[in-house]
Amino acid sequence: MSVPEQSLITDEHRAAIGVKSDPVKVVIGEVDAHRMRDVLEDKDPRWADGTGLAPSYVIAGMGGGPRRGMPQILPGGLLTQQEWKFSRPFKIGEELSAVSQVFDIRDRLGGRYGYSVLVTQGTEYFDSDGHHVASAMITITQFDPKSQRKGDE
Amino acid sequence: MSQRYYEDTNLDDELEPLERTPTTDMAIDFFGRDNPTNPAFSDIEAGKRLGVGGALVPGLLKLSWITQYVSDWAGTEGHVKNLRAAYRRPDVADRPLVLGGRVVDKRVEDGKHIVELEVVTLADGQPSTRANVQVELPAKG
Repeated sequence: MSVPEQSLITDEHRAAIGVKSDPVKVVIGEVDAHRMRDVLEDKDPRWADGTGLAPSYVIAGMGGGPRRGMPQILPGGLLTQQEWKFSRPFKIGEELSAVSQVFDIRDRLGGRYGYSVLVTQGTEYFDSDGHHVASAMITITQFDPKSQRKGDE
Repeated sequence: MSQRYYEDTNLDDELEPLERTPTTDMAIDFFGRDNPTNPAFSDIEAGKRLGVGGALVPGLLKLSWITQYVSDWAGTEGHVKNLRAAYRRPDVADRPLVLGGRVVDKRVEDGKHIVELEVVTLADGQPSTRANVQVELPAKG
């Protein structure tokens, strides 16, 4: 695919910007939290068995996260930017409510793919009292792998 | 793991470098073998189709390492509040990454003692991820 003559971002894509999803229930699972901790060989006593707390990076595996509902404009995608915010520690077994929205969609010309689309989407996680627990935001650079510059493979 | 205090932290303090070698097994186990992930995390050919040159190291795994790295530096009374990362270059599995960081700011905000760090992952000496991390440290007072 060469550089398109006009943007591949449609009005339908733009209409998704700023629209909040319905809340999705997410549970901080003990098995998941301990598996992620063990893969990282994390010895922090705060997340040891029995403390009831999960390391903050469990957000990396939480369902209902940022990619849910993200418009797919081009077939390839690489994570290029990411932000996590934490208001308090995660508790194992607690149920959170995840609300996502697309913040931005924009074209990019140049770089190794010639034309790509940057999609920024975020998710906020709230506890049962409605208090903010954490947020995750990502920017995915979408591209057509066939457009890659020679020599970049 | 020793405790770090706000008063003992200075601008340009450097964190001890730490080497980690990501593997395809690690990438899959981190997210769980039953959970769907990007095929490029475990399949070298899928990674090559993305132009990566091998199996892709998940950005989420790298950001998790950065979280752990800063959390260990801060000690158990410290709390990582915010991480903002830019993935500058894809990393390939089985190639060592070195984490490094330094203090770039410290301030008191709403009574909280905040230290800001710049953290990088280096592959072959070149930054592949750059992150700004805010951590709240305890004060001695």
